[in-house]
Amino acid sequence: MSRRRTSGTADAGRHIPWSGAVLLLVVGLYFALPLIATGVFSFWEGGTRYGPSAYISLVHQDALWESLWLSLRLALETIGLSLLVLVPAVFWMHLRVPRLKSLFDFISVLPFVVPPIVLVAGLTALFHGPDWFVGTPNYLVAPYVILALPYTYRALDVGMRALDLRTLTEASHSLGAGWGLFILRVLLPNLASALAGAALLTIAIVMGEFTFANVLLFNTFAVYINYIGQTSATEAAALTLLSFVITWLAMLGVLLSGRGKGQAQLGGAR
Amino acid sequence: MTIRSSGSRRNFLKLAAGVTGASFGSAFFPGMVGTALASPTAPTNKALIAAAKAEGQLNVIALPPDWANYGKMIAEFSKLYGIKVNSASPDASSAQELQAVKSLKGQSRGPDVVDVGPAFALAGVQEGLFQPYKVATWASIPDNMKDASGLWWGDYFGVVSFGVNRNVVKNAPQTWADLLKPEYKGMVALNGSPLGAGAAFAGVFAASLGNGGSLDNMLPGVEFFAKLAKAGNFNPSDATSASLVSGQTPIVINWDYLNIAQAKKEASKVKIDTIIPAEAKPYGGYYCQAISKFAPNPNAAKLWEEFLMSDAGQLIYLEGFAHPARFNDMVARGVIPQSLMAELPPAAAYKEVVFADKAQTEKAQSVLKAEWAKMVKV
Amino acid sequence: MQQAASAGSGAVVPRQTVRQFVSLRRHWGTVLFIGPFLLYVLAFLLLPALRLLAQAIGDKHGLTLRYVAGLAQPQTVTAFSNSIMLSAVSAAVGLVLGGLVAYFMLRPGAPAGLRSLVTSFSAVAANFAGVPLAFAFIATLGSLGFITVWLKRIGVDLYGAGFSLYGMSGLTLVYAYFQIPLMIIVIIPAIEGLRREWREAAQSLGGGSWAYWRHVGLPILMPSLLSAYLLLFGNAFSAYATPYALTSGNIGLVPIEISNVLSGNVMLEPQVGAALALGMIGVMVLVMLLYVAAARRANRWSGR
Repeated sequence: MSRRRTSGTADAGRHIPWSGAVLLLVVGLYFALPLIATGVFSFWEGGTRYGPSAYISLVHQDALWESLWLSLRLALETIGLSLLVLVPAVFWMHLRVPRLKSLFDFISVLPFVVPPIVLVAGLTALFHGPDWFVGTPNYLVAPYVILALPYTYRALDVGMRALDLRTLTEASHSLGAGWGLFILRVLLPNLASALAGAALLTIAIVMGEFTFANVLLFNTFAVYINYIGQTSATEAAALTLLSFVITWLAMLGVLLSGRGKGQAQLGGAR
Repeated sequence: MTIRSSGSRRNFLKLAAGVTGASFGSAFFPGMVGTALASPTAPTNKALIAAAKAEGQLNVIALPPDWANYGKMIAEFSKLYGIKVNSASPDASSAQELQAVKSLKGQSRGPDVVDVGPAFALAGVQEGLFQPYKVATWASIPDNMKDASGLWWGDYFGVVSFGVNRNVVKNAPQTWADLLKPEYKGMVALNGSPLGAGAAFAGVFAASLGNGGSLDNMLPGVEFFAKLAKAGNFNPSDATSASLVSGQTPIVINWDYLNIAQAKKEASKVKIDTIIPAEAKPYGGYYCQAISKFAPNPNAAKLWEEFLMSDAGQLIYLEGFAHPARFNDMVARGVIPQSLMAELPPAAAYKEVVFADKAQTEKAQSVLKAEWAKMVKV
Repeated sequence: MQQAASAGSGAVVPRQTVRQFVSLRRHWGTVLFIGPFLLYVLAFLLLPALRLLAQAIGDKHGLTLRYVAGLAQPQTVTAFSNSIMLSAVSAAVGLVLGGLVAYFMLRPGAPAGLRSLVTSFSAVAANFAGVPLAFAFIATLGSLGFITVWLKRIGVDLYGAGFSLYGMSGLTLVYAYFQIPLMIIVIIPAIEGLRREWREAAQSLGGGSWAYWRHVGLPILMPSLLSAYLLLFGNAFSAYATPYALTSGNIGLVPIEISNVLSGNVMLEPQVGAALALGMIGVMVLVMLLYVAAARRANRWSGR
């Protein structure tokens, strides 16, 4: 993987070895080229003319901003509910009841194999619920948490595994902290990168989810993108890039806002 | 109140309407004469209009504005009757439409009307999702396009055509046999999987008709696409507007109204020709209207259906290049303006259009399921 | 497995027996922490999914195994084997490349900001799929894509040489676009968990990079790697929009078959779709069992 080091000092990793740099470059190219192709097409106006007309017509469409705002709101609600339900469960499972791990793993992959259209049919047959729940877009949050489950669970699972939970809990208990304080002040800060990962994945999933919103007649961003994609060629490409950039900025926002939190670490990793 | 914009067309129609309206109107629309609200060929049933207005809105689903001119249809309906139309999920499939009816049963957001493929109209009947209604113009809807008890009826149809990006393709193919020529390598695409997309299914059926098959025998169609794939001309990706316009799939087999609408929309960027293959009778597909049994706005729904199936509504379909179900009847009565006829592909083709019935469709589906994946290898 | 004596209970905790789970007082923690999660999953996933089971084994004429038996048809078997192979290979590609990228990006010597850039990009790319992704690749490497055309101009005929974006290799190439970023996001906490002291300790004992990885790094990472692989497999296995946009179902894949009969515009066969979904569950259960067996071996290292 990298050059053999013969010196005894902790010199490993001062620079990225050339093999790593080449790899990053090749992978970067692989990710950039299709986006560039889409971008070039989005600026095309026929023949050899290029201009921003597709973008201009897009940003003037109210439906774009309304659906985007709806999706972002749903994403935030989904993250909140997901973490609220999952963090305690995964934590407790890791700490006290590791036997349940297989059950958790199985549950976490179930959303992959239940087709969305089946899930929506089942959900609506079961829950005719109060109208304030079932009639508003917030209804989507319930299945979205399930859809995001494999990813959020996995992110939290990997994150908690890297921590020494037993020591953390014992230490904080011996200092007099109850469970609530422990979770807020000790567990969550230590899970920062896992939480960020879970949040990022959830946002991406909610922004891209189509079937549920389509059948339940809610106008989310993905429904809007799909509709533009069927009808307008260059606008579809423009919208692809626009949504890519917008989601990317949202992600950066999540990442940078998590920077400030202090991290209690046992034996720093860096 | 005008529905069309061209002055000469308005005059022509006034004349035609005067003749037909007087005869039909007095029979079907009491109180029509002297109504300033609507053009003579749009529904003017006062009681129904009042009841619909009282409901105030209409929920429709799966109606993209560029598909068969639904954008204009919705706008005109709204303007004429002052009813707000909530158009949701323009990209829903027929199966999703039925699911939406089931999922939103009892909610005020539920769809009032659906526009689904014939197989799904039948499925909807079986699941008890529709309520019967016979529009005023029921008699002139062809028998093979409606349910006898009024649970569904055809609204418009299209035929299979080639949409060709002329900026990329120098010589447009005119027949199915042409598609096999080496100059079209990697260019010919369908609008999805024949097992999942209506236009693609029809495309294979049409290819079958053009290669010695019949409505009872779809196998030659599959064999044709197998040949196309072997020659390297078949592009299996799901053709979209973007792929046609950008030239990535410069020959798309799709409904005529979709190809023509695309051509018109992107005319500033690219020249797209719509060609109906010449070898055989054109294969057509129609879509079906039905009113949901649980419609939250049933009177608005009925008024919508009256509007769609009236001469006015059917002409709006035709302006979107989708042939209305009552096309032959309207041609016979002379209510279609010449200028509109001129914009469409030659009418002779549409007189000969053939549709597959339920049994033929199911037989074709089972042949597809068994043979498509096996034979068509890209 | 022993339980550490918690601060709240002064009693010595005896070895666990199944009966003890019934006693709520002793297991208030489990009920409080895990209960809501299980309830949620029961209400919003398991119960709706049970309808699936009911549909697969019966229709309005009564119980029947005909639909499940229909899974043995040749085109269905092909679809399952295609799906499994595509998922396994693309998950492996994502695992290796994503893991490497994450590792290099997290090294202290990496340029500042690279980590935020890559992580945020990965989060977006992990869900960049479906029609936009397919179009982006068709425009790049399709039969008339700009790279294909450019290569032809310099004398390399991709499609003539047998490459096809619309075959299994092309699909794998496109799948990598969301598999690699997903891997990056999921594996970051695990790589961060590799303490520098361990590397230094290995070096001071005379081991080089390869020895470190073989004896320390990889074994510690293995449970997380397996976990990530399972996720990547499931992610690819259930992918529908991307392969449909690329191939219109020409390469048989199970999610596309399901969508055709449940959510399409040509036919409506809920029982067939339900049987196919049951088949998918069966495959995932098998993969899970393999994962559990592998994880049990890997967990010996981390002592849990």
